[in-house]
Amino acid sequence: MKRSTEGFWTLVVIVALSWIQAGTALAAEKPILIGGSLPLTGTFSATGKWVEKGYQFWAEEVNGKGGILGRPVKLIIYDDKSDAKEAVNLIEKAITVDKVDLLLGGYPGTACTAVMPVAEKYKMVYVSMGGHMKSFSQGYTYSFGSPPLMGEWWYLGFFQWMKTVPADQRPKRAAIFTMNNPIGVSLMDSVYKGCKDLGIEILIDEKYNLPLTTADAMIAKAKQMKTDLLFANGMFPDGVMTLRACKSLDYNPKAILQGIGSVIPEWTRELGKDGDYVFSGTSWHYKLKYPGNDKIVKVARERFKEEEPPLYFGFGYAWMQTLQQAVEGAKSLDQTKLRDWLRKNEVKTIAGNFQFDEKGLPKPFVYLTQVIRGTVELIWPPEMRSHEPVYPKPPWK
Amino acid sequence: MWNLVVILQSALSGLLLGGVFALLGVGFSLSWGVMKVINISHAAFGILAAYIAYWGLTLYGWDPMLSLLVSIPLLFFSGLVLHRFLIQKVTRAREIVVASMILTFGLAIVLENAMLFAWAPDERLITTAYSSRALFLGEVILKVSNLIGFGLSMAGIGGIYFFLYHTHTGKAVRATWQDPEGAALQGIPLNRVSMIAFGLAIASAGAGGVAMAYMYSFNPPAHNHWLIFLFLVVIVGGVGSVIGTAVAGLMIGLITGLSGAFLPFQWINVFLFGLLMVILLIKPEGLFRK
Amino acid sequence: MAKTTKLSLIGLVFLLALFPLFQPPIHSLSFLFLVFLYIILAESWNLIGGFGGYLSFGHVAFFGIGTYTSALLFQKLGLSPFVGAFPAGMMAAAVAAVIGYPCLRLRGPYFAVVTLCFAFIMDLIVKNWWFLGGSEGIHLKLVEMEIRLSRSIFYEIYLGLAAVTVIFVRWVEHSKMGLGLSAIREDEEVAQTLCIPTARLKLQAFVLSAFFPGVAGGLYAYYISYVHPDVVFDISVSILIVLMALFGGGTSWAGPLVGAALLSIINELLSTYIKPEIARMIYGAMFVAVILFMPDGIVAFVKRKRGYA
Repeated sequence: MKRSTEGFWTLVVIVALSWIQAGTALAAEKPILIGGSLPLTGTFSATGKWVEKGYQFWAEEVNGKGGILGRPVKLIIYDDKSDAKEAVNLIEKAITVDKVDLLLGGYPGTACTAVMPVAEKYKMVYVSMGGHMKSFSQGYTYSFGSPPLMGEWWYLGFFQWMKTVPADQRPKRAAIFTMNNPIGVSLMDSVYKGCKDLGIEILIDEKYNLPLTTADAMIAKAKQMKTDLLFANGMFPDGVMTLRACKSLDYNPKAILQGIGSVIPEWTRELGKDGDYVFSGTSWHYKLKYPGNDKIVKVARERFKEEEPPLYFGFGYAWMQTLQQAVEGAKSLDQTKLRDWLRKNEVKTIAGNFQFDEKGLPKPFVYLTQVIRGTVELIWPPEMRSHEPVYPKPPWK
Repeated sequence: MWNLVVILQSALSGLLLGGVFALLGVGFSLSWGVMKVINISHAAFGILAAYIAYWGLTLYGWDPMLSLLVSIPLLFFSGLVLHRFLIQKVTRAREIVVASMILTFGLAIVLENAMLFAWAPDERLITTAYSSRALFLGEVILKVSNLIGFGLSMAGIGGIYFFLYHTHTGKAVRATWQDPEGAALQGIPLNRVSMIAFGLAIASAGAGGVAMAYMYSFNPPAHNHWLIFLFLVVIVGGVGSVIGTAVAGLMIGLITGLSGAFLPFQWINVFLFGLLMVILLIKPEGLFRK
Repeated sequence: MAKTTKLSLIGLVFLLALFPLFQPPIHSLSFLFLVFLYIILAESWNLIGGFGGYLSFGHVAFFGIGTYTSALLFQKLGLSPFVGAFPAGMMAAAVAAVIGYPCLRLRGPYFAVVTLCFAFIMDLIVKNWWFLGGSEGIHLKLVEMEIRLSRSIFYEIYLGLAAVTVIFVRWVEHSKMGLGLSAIREDEEVAQTLCIPTARLKLQAFVLSAFFPGVAGGLYAYYISYVHPDVVFDISVSILIVLMALFGGGTSWAGPLVGAALLSIINELLSTYIKPEIARMIYGAMFVAVILFMPDGIVAFVKRKRGYA
């Protein structure tokens, strides 16, 4: 009797030990799952694909260095087909079926805004571009913009720089054309404030719906009213049309500011010289003197044959950097701990060093970019300047 | 009130634009009217031709007009094949219009994503040496690229009109449409005639696509935006009528342009669609249907 | 309907109702929630589309109207969307009555286009009008419930609504109204000579077909918490509804149910296991294949195979 009891218990101990050992071995290999959705097909796929590339590059790099907390990372990126309803559905899939440890940010702003309440309900940290100020004003505690895409901050750099231009050289009359969507509406914020500050008269202030069929009437009006500052608050297709209309109608304002179009490589690649001298804002630029940007440039050139890393490639990488630092800093995957860590600590990304406020936002950026001879240069702040600005805009040849 | 220059400028630019819509719409109208096929993939073929023009230009330096020598026969042939092997099969359905819509919808998705897979979602522009040059009519400016697009469209529409009214096959196509049974009794091979008409429609989509590409940037999903204007043009002009579509295209272009001079831009589309609704409710056959 | 079919359907509904009790991954509840939504939309659409032969391509507008009505009632008056869904449905029905009266005089593709225009115009009006939230959308307060519980509640409500819609559509199919509608579909002129009140029937069908999407929309506002025109006036949903109903087969009550369920499931499977562009290509090819081999829809095909008329 006694022998079999001993034998039995030895067996139990051996089984238990090997089970525990197997368990830890598994845990050592078990990857950290990071999941969510991106528009990989459909209207927004052009940008969605760059975010994906940014995420994938980061994952490769991190795994090459041994992962996070000793575990490799694995990305689960679903295609939401450019549909915000799908994005909501798929983030839930990632959370409840794949049981991901971390969430990855989506695109565009509408999808992020729809996903933020879901992340809040599941109490999971969500690092993304957000959906402008309104989305960060809903009291969500788990959402962070790191960096965010804030239309409200987009032109702050321009106006700050303009203050350094002698008053008699500044533009006096503005024409504003804005696309009718959340991005456009948020862009107008900084335009109104800035123009008021500098005493620039707003002569034309119109919204248009996408897709834009023709920019000719807009530019004809702008020219006719002798405005010398143009705000083309749109995306790529309408931005291109607006620029081309400016050229063919020979409209030469002192400066042209374009919303979101000039930040994708196609702007310089497809427009060529016509796209030069356009100003814009940004939340990240590869010439920023933050560590890691040189790597980004290298990868973009070698792997993707892009002279300039696209904005969203950088964004994707920066968002992942944020998650990584939160996990390494909190030494845990517990979402509430991650959230609290992010609240208290500064995050260092290629886009800058961020300290988040209660909205989940860092301090406003005031970057100004200008496309000069086919390259997007940083004009402001002065300590980051990579090229002298060209102002006023040279007339069309 | 804006001055004459702005109004004239808006009107002329709109007119040029409208011509391009018209070319894109003619084939769509034709396949709807003659074959009762509402071809949802029509604009997608336009995008395909735009890509051919783009690659021809960037890889080999061909002028986009030259690329038509490749895309038009290619698309014509594709139209023949599609009709023979897919469209003809759904004429068995009780509701041809419905079945053809579902069929071409599926086709459009396949085509769009095939292009996406092959060429990525990056936005493309056709920029030739003369793209941004312009002609001056007093103070009014006409972009060369728009003029070329317009010229191409007029030529295309003219060609189709000539085909339908002055060639044997073309007349057969019209006979088939107006009176299928009568045409059959006359010994007209309905299937073959429909096939040719469909091939022509797709080929014209190609020409229309290149004309559009002169004015707009594009990528595979862009055909969805173009489709909306197709419907607009075809309904206003009257399904099946070449002249109707042409005039409707010009009118819609004109209205789009002019309303830009008078209305706040954000209401232009509401105005356009509202106008379409009104036209439909008052005279649904379109303005020119015989 | 055969007794076995009836029993198995009741059994299915029963099982689905019990499903949340088995603590499945919450995503399954959300996924089925969307399936139920499409069933509600496609089935009610079928009243005017499949039965009447009037293909409305703007039906998503009624869903959107419902969503916005209940969102605004919640935002401005604090009325819970669980209650607000009903006035939302009435609002959609009312708009349908107003729009339907002139539009139903159009036939075939013209009706399709005019309804499409209507959907576009609704989308644009909302985007241009600050009162309706404009192009920024409306942010609603989050549902104050633990997530599994709230998802389960929405699931059950939508399951119930879907069941009610299907039963209602089936009832219509076999009623005088349904007979009248199929007569209209077959040949409207002949129907008129037979003294069938075509105008009244069409309008009734149209209004009814708008009510359920309106209610569904009213609830959806609360589910999603962020209401934006791009999300709830999405034209591709409009097109998808038509396709689902016709894919399954428009002349029977079962068609849209089969179509909506099948397409949603296939879509989900494709996105999970296959590369995105290829998945979409397969999805498109599927439409082509089905329409080639089953031009009147799946249900009609199956019925024919089984030897029914």
